[in-house]
Amino acid sequence: MPSIIAALLNSLDIAMLLFVIAVGLNIIFGVLNIINFAHGGLYMLGAYFTYTLVGRLGLPFWPALLLAPLAVAAIAAVLERLVLYRVYGRHVTDSLLLTFALLLIIDEGVRMIWGSGIHVVRPPELLQGRVNFAGVSYPLYSAFVITSGVVLLAALWALFNRTRIGRVVRAAAIDRDMAQTIGINVPAVVTGVFAFGAWIAAIGGVVAAPMRAIDPGMGDKIIIESFIVVVIGGLGSFPGALLGALVLGLIHGFGGRYLPQINLVLPYIGMALVLLWRPHGLLGRRAAA
Amino acid sequence: MAKNFFALFKSGLVSLLALAVLLPQAQAQQPIRLGGIFIMSGAASVYGKFAQQGIQLAVDEINAAGGVLGRKLEFRIEDSQGKADVAIQAARKLVFQDRVDALLGLDSSGVATGLVPVMPELRRPLIITHAATPDATGKLCNRYTFRISVNVNQNMMAAAHVAADSGAKRWTTIGPDYAFGHQSWEYFSKYLKELKPDVELMKETAFPRFGNEDFTPFINSVMAAEPDGVLISVWGGDLVNFVRQARNLGFFDRDMQVLMTVGAATEVLSALGEDMPEGVWLGTRYWFDAHDNPVNQAFVKAYMKRYKTPPSYNAEGAYAAVYAYKAAMEKAGSADPEKVTEALSDLGFQAPNGEISFRAGDHQAVVGPTWGRAAAMNSDYGIRMLDPVRSFKGEDVTPSVEETGCRL
Repeated sequence: MPSIIAALLNSLDIAMLLFVIAVGLNIIFGVLNIINFAHGGLYMLGAYFTYTLVGRLGLPFWPALLLAPLAVAAIAAVLERLVLYRVYGRHVTDSLLLTFALLLIIDEGVRMIWGSGIHVVRPPELLQGRVNFAGVSYPLYSAFVITSGVVLLAALWALFNRTRIGRVVRAAAIDRDMAQTIGINVPAVVTGVFAFGAWIAAIGGVVAAPMRAIDPGMGDKIIIESFIVVVIGGLGSFPGALLGALVLGLIHGFGGRYLPQINLVLPYIGMALVLLWRPHGLLGRRAAA
Repeated sequence: MAKNFFALFKSGLVSLLALAVLLPQAQAQQPIRLGGIFIMSGAASVYGKFAQQGIQLAVDEINAAGGVLGRKLEFRIEDSQGKADVAIQAARKLVFQDRVDALLGLDSSGVATGLVPVMPELRRPLIITHAATPDATGKLCNRYTFRISVNVNQNMMAAAHVAADSGAKRWTTIGPDYAFGHQSWEYFSKYLKELKPDVELMKETAFPRFGNEDFTPFINSVMAAEPDGVLISVWGGDLVNFVRQARNLGFFDRDMQVLMTVGAATEVLSALGEDMPEGVWLGTRYWFDAHDNPVNQAFVKAYMKRYKTPPSYNAEGAYAAVYAYKAAMEKAGSADPEKVTEALSDLGFQAPNGEISFRAGDHQAVVGPTWGRAAAMNSDYGIRMLDPVRSFKGEDVTPSVEETGCRL
């Protein structure tokens, strides 16, 4: 029994990080109608900024959690204004190529600025060590990851369903022209949404920094996983991102524990099964964001 | 104006013609070109960076001392991205387009398995400086392929000695799910069983995907099986992730022998710093502090002066390979690829990790790894040092040519 609980807790912490990345992808897809490859790069930037702030400048972790995502959001806003807006309304492959190019540029930029070495950031004092939970010894930091995922989930849900900003964004997602007509500044909303998605990705990067190796390949790795989440859950679906992340988290958590011989292919088998059964993902075709 | 231009054109044409006549003469003084293939991008690119620095240092030293056979050395590096097909393409480009005289490099067993069989077609010598699969100098061996670095058999023979002396009885492994991880466990099991017939090699092993980010499920399942000893062949950024996650789960607090087969890579040690737990056994193909000979002292000193960090095993392998080519070209009296290939076989020369030679039977250098226990931090380098250190002699850990399955 403890081993099942351990696998479950582990699945949850993998799932929460994946959710944070995938939900940003889905929000951006919902409003901008682009599949943002560069999302992995933005996540990586969040982690590298954390390394600079905490590892190099010696700041505590908490201000980094505030500052790094803001910096990444600002970079994203500039990228959107300078480059991305040119491909709106074009075929989706154009935006795929463009954002993939951005990912490569961010990858190389990171290597030029921070070098190709592997870096680590220590968890804050408060979150070092382990807790006992139902007979399982569990790293405190993983508990923090799960908690921040849940908090972010609740905050996003409230934002989109309970506030005026959320309604404006949803309006811009459903019908851009109509939104423009009734006086919504759509270009500003679009820039804001892209920066917001990047902000979420960077939060993922900051949260990941103390538990994962920071290296120039981390953005590529997470984006592949996040695409699997999005395919399973349904592109553009907010609850889909959560469901997909949970499914993939469980596949990793239990697959690695109980089916180690085939853990390599399990995520892809899961993805293939979902696609056969529901080609648009488990919760696809719902209203975006 | 037009007339002037025509005159200029004519004189240009004349000097071009003159150049064409003189060119064969000049060719004798052309530099000797080396082509390196390493991982230069992505998560493991730090290994490529160290190798590049090692080559640069060797080439600059050799050129400053007059070059090889009176010719300067030049080198060019291509990115393998850790993928076999990319590496093959890179090798073809280096040979056919850049016209390099010799190749060196390869950071992954997967890359080596793909590229080694192509070497007879390329007709250039290749010195492998990092990739460790026994197959490269075993069942896939060929005339053109040499390896200067410690391979899996050699390292696992040494690991088996460390394991046998530790007294632990029940052993399992955590390794990357490709040739390297599986072969490490296979050879470790074989050699340990020979040394200590009463050990138990457990069925509960864990092979997470290479590039896996979350090792927790695998760590949990190995801990649940309660082994006395664990062989860990995870490497690079994966090893950094693994160690930190294992630490969080109390893996290193258990009464358990932990052997990390390539744990003393300075790339990993400098990333982890104090997070590398004290007391675990770390293996490496080369440890800068373990070889008391003038070549090593000069190498470490020059490397530290230039790059402000101790050389990793990958830097040393690449550095030594350049000197191996120098020795072979001087022995052959030529940089002709066929003659150099011939000269490399059975060539002995002084490398930082000692006097080494490429065996004629399989072209594997007879070298041994260094193992040591993670000890106190060295604050200048920001890495844990090894203490005690055990350096294994090549002759003691290299299996016979018959055992490797190589037929040249």
